Amino acid sequence: MKIKRKVSQATVPSMAMGDIAFNLLIFFVILARAEDDSHLQWTAADAPNLENAGHSLVSVLVDKKNRLYLNGQEIGIAQLAGRVESLLGNRPAGERTVVLKIHTETQAQRFEPIIEAISEAGGDLVHILEDDKK
Amino acid sequence: MKQRRRNKLLIESPASATGDIAFNLIVFFLVCASVQPDSGRKQTIPKAETVPEEKKETENISIDLTRTTVAINSEKVDIRRFPLLMRARLRDKKAPEDRVVIVKSAPEVPYDRWIDVTAMIEDAGGIITLQLEEEREVTLPE
Repeated sequence: MKIKRKVSQATVPSMAMGDIAFNLLIFFVILARAEDDSHLQWTAADAPNLENAGHSLVSVLVDKKNRLYLNGQEIGIAQLAGRVESLLGNRPAGERTVVLKIHTETQAQRFEPIIEAISEAGGDLVHILEDDKK
Repeated sequence: MKQRRRNKLLIESPASATGDIAFNLIVFFLVCASVQPDSGRKQTIPKAETVPEEKKETENISIDLTRTTVAINSEKVDIRRFPLLMRARLRDKKAPEDRVVIVKSAPEVPYDRWIDVTAMIEDAGGIITLQLEEEREVTLPE
């Protein structure tokens, strides 16, 4: 006698498609932001009357250990002006914003050449600061 | 005649999905928190240029900044009076080239102090320019 095998269906529930799509979306959003400098340690200086920094292609940061980073990648001061210039390309004024995040205790001998390099590259400088509400 | 409804079904989301929902919520709020806009202060600094020796004498205001003191044209002033004095000196200067203020900072000046002072200058109507000491390598004869 021939016994028929019971065929059971194993399918991915279509209900989970939304969740899968959402997770993929989040994954790619995080990947796209992997180049940023949110993992670096620094403390912003306080200042009153601040404005929104807006969108920027270039971020220059000096961390607590006095190390210099361009868009999250460590860099030397000698290469800074050239790299910022190539990142900004031929963008018109108003789209050449360079955000500058300097640790509050950094000394002038470190940050002044950085400011000079950014101005040399033709960047519109925006110092990122903490709002002083005192 | 009143008819009783049959098959009263209780519809609830499966408990196995709770973990997924919680994870998605965590990721969502994490991404939201990390895209908070930054606030800051714009600063326009003219491009650096090498000034020939004979042209160094200018009528621009110069600020000497150290960790503890601030001086306008080599004259030490109280930091509380600094904004008032800057406003008074820049009042009659209308042309942008006259409003240029040269900031010379001592190497050990911290960033927060530099930001405070340069913000005061800009609020008074000055245009910041930096004077940096040029580093040169000198080879001594043997």
